[in-house]
Amino acid sequence: MRKLEKTLLEVNSLASGTDSNLSALSILIVTLLYIGFMLSVPLYAPQKVILFAIYPVVQSEMSGLGYGKVFLKSLWVLPLILFIGIFNPFLDREVAFSIAGINISRGWVSFLSLTLRGLFAVQAAYILARTAGFFDMCHSLRHLGCPKILIVQLQFTFRYICVIVEEAMWMDRARAARGFGRKNYPLSMWGRFVGQLLIRSYDRATAIHRVMLARGFNGSIPAARSHKMNRASIIFMIIWSALFVALRLFNFESVFSGTFQPH
Amino acid sequence: MSHHYLQFKNVYFSYPNSNEILHDISFKINHGEHVALLGLNGSGKSTILLHTNGLLMPESGEVVVGDVPVTQKTLRLIRQTVGMVFQNSDDMLFMPSIKEDVAFGPRNMNLPDSEIERRVGFYLEAVGLKGMADRPAFSLSGGQRRAAAIASVLAMEPSVMVLDEPSANLDARARRQLMGIIDDFPHIILLATHDEEMAVTLCKRAILVHEGKIVFDGPTQIAIDHLHKLV
Amino acid sequence: MHMADALISTPVALVAGVGAASLLVVASRKVSKIKRADILPLMGVMGAFVFAAQMINFSIPGTGSSGHIIGGILLAALLGPWAAFLTLASVIIIQCLIFADGGLMALGCNLINMGVMTTMVAYPLVYRPIAKATTIRWRIMLASVLACIVGLEAGALAVTFETELSGVTQLPYVTFLSFMLPIHLLIGLCEGVASGLVLCFIASYRPAMLASVNTEYKDSEQEDKKSKSTKWILAILSAVALIFAVSFSWLASSDPDGLEWSIEKITGNAELAPAVAPPTAIIPDYDSTFSGVIGGLIVVALIWGICIILFRSKKSVRSNKN
Repeated sequence: MRKLEKTLLEVNSLASGTDSNLSALSILIVTLLYIGFMLSVPLYAPQKVILFAIYPVVQSEMSGLGYGKVFLKSLWVLPLILFIGIFNPFLDREVAFSIAGINISRGWVSFLSLTLRGLFAVQAAYILARTAGFFDMCHSLRHLGCPKILIVQLQFTFRYICVIVEEAMWMDRARAARGFGRKNYPLSMWGRFVGQLLIRSYDRATAIHRVMLARGFNGSIPAARSHKMNRASIIFMIIWSALFVALRLFNFESVFSGTFQPH
Repeated sequence: MSHHYLQFKNVYFSYPNSNEILHDISFKINHGEHVALLGLNGSGKSTILLHTNGLLMPESGEVVVGDVPVTQKTLRLIRQTVGMVFQNSDDMLFMPSIKEDVAFGPRNMNLPDSEIERRVGFYLEAVGLKGMADRPAFSLSGGQRRAAAIASVLAMEPSVMVLDEPSANLDARARRQLMGIIDDFPHIILLATHDEEMAVTLCKRAILVHEGKIVFDGPTQIAIDHLHKLV
Repeated sequence: MHMADALISTPVALVAGVGAASLLVVASRKVSKIKRADILPLMGVMGAFVFAAQMINFSIPGTGSSGHIIGGILLAALLGPWAAFLTLASVIIIQCLIFADGGLMALGCNLINMGVMTTMVAYPLVYRPIAKATTIRWRIMLASVLACIVGLEAGALAVTFETELSGVTQLPYVTFLSFMLPIHLLIGLCEGVASGLVLCFIASYRPAMLASVNTEYKDSEQEDKKSKSTKWILAILSAVALIFAVSFSWLASSDPDGLEWSIEKITGNAELAPAVAPPTAIIPDYDSTFSGVIGGLIVVALIWGICIILFRSKKSVRSNKN
């Protein structure tokens, strides 16, 4: 099952962040502000949304990810947008403008806007996942007031994804080696396979609990250190938030009005 | 510290739904002694180990660690005194980074931050993981994970260290390094293993368990000869 | 079932986010009171288990396609509602933060649609009463199928509601529902059978793993009933619904586009619109939409070019030095 193996590699690479200059908290806040401001742009103003591309473009290049790669990674969201948004062009046929004699309806305008929003939001989230690192993000969530038990739960789950997925992989390989030759499991077999995986996972939890007890665990996991906000992070946050506010409030796009005549 | 010893007095134990039992287990290990615990699979080795720090309690009989009997009331003290290295390193490294894992025990002992930091640095270096403190467990090799697991126990500075099958799944180099770490431990070691060469090298004395009973307690080489006869 | 950021508006995201966050806080408090000593490692490993289980597909009989479970009912049957919600939440959050699956803004919606609807609505209202504290296989199977269907349908209802409220689709509410409900009935059926099979397997090999059978849980669940914590959920959910309703009217008035659009629909012309639209609105001037999009694209492309020159050359210089 290639999906399992792919996940293993991905999780390994995402545990720690790539960007050592910026604190995870600052990237998280900027990402949230970005998506929030972008989504608040009215649906019929794709010309406003498109300027919001500046953040994913600049940030992906600055962190060395490369915008091309980030763009490709965000394409998975298109089917989802299509599912909800494709009805707009059919239902809202009022003509918005025409180019070279072809009428473009308001429905297409909103669909374009929806697509852009979808792509940019996923790109921003992807940049966050790649640059901030999971465990640092957990610390920043704690900063933002998340309950400790939830943070511990997130860290625990993340830690054991690899272990359990690896176990599933070995079980799956053992099955494949005995040659059933099919990709998916028939339901009844799936039930037994997953049931076994579940029992193994449960036993592992018991073993971990035993280890914790042996090391003096008394019901609560000691709090981890917090990250300090450095100057680079603060400047990073101020510049981007200012830009988002500006993009949202001022009509930069009106500079172009009349420049590219559609008629 | 020097008066620490580990003693089992007529310990009986049975699991509710299993025929695995302990039957009248008695032995005493003195300070500084390194003892191997030998026996076939299912003979009761792991069950004995779990009794040393109160993860299991005997049905009758008593386990005593340095004058302190293992009871519900003394558990906190006992678990600081007896460090336990389990078979599966993945189970032992559950925190986000190696450093946090090693700090877990000392933090539970409510030590001051400076002391915790000192121990983390010291014991990671002792097991050869200097510079890897911030790495998550799954990015380490099998040998490194075992070393980290041992560091997480050493950091509690126990006066008894109990190890369950520590050389399983290790390559020759990692195994040699592991033997060095165990050999350097100045206090009591109780080592359950199938690795006969390791038992002979590290322990002068061995206890042989078979079907829940102690069948031999003496020089390691002789215990191994007895073990071979059981097969 | 995962909502994407693009499909919701900021106010909807915020309200759902606040609702989900407060439920997470309540759940965290509830879980810390559960008497089971090994609840922390158990929840953690179970979260990882759900990850793995979601990746193992089963073939759906008679269709040739395949599916996977979400796992809400399965988790609730093993851990009880509160711990299950927290566990499923951690899975959804990790999917969002690490795999950028589902959106950051949509996180609150996703937690409610997938987490709350299964573990806190379908489990206590459907699963528990049918399955009871037994290990009888047909009961478990029936409970699991019905609970999964209810959970998914409730989730689909919520998705429809959130999408319509955000105003991103012109699809009428009823039409949208008539798409969503049958699809989720099928998905619910598959998920229910699959989860039921796993639970039956557990019931015959390790009955003590089931929360309804485990005595340590019974205590805390009974206490739950005493403290009437279901009231908490109802209170929070109805608060969310109320804020949604209030914000809807506010949204309509603050979003000139939407309002103009609806006025047009009602009166048949847009003459009324300029009176309510703020002076900066660019709505009537659609030429600028086209110019704006093209101009914006050029600006973004220019900035990208500058970035590539700036940062990539810097990187290569750096790597040359090394």
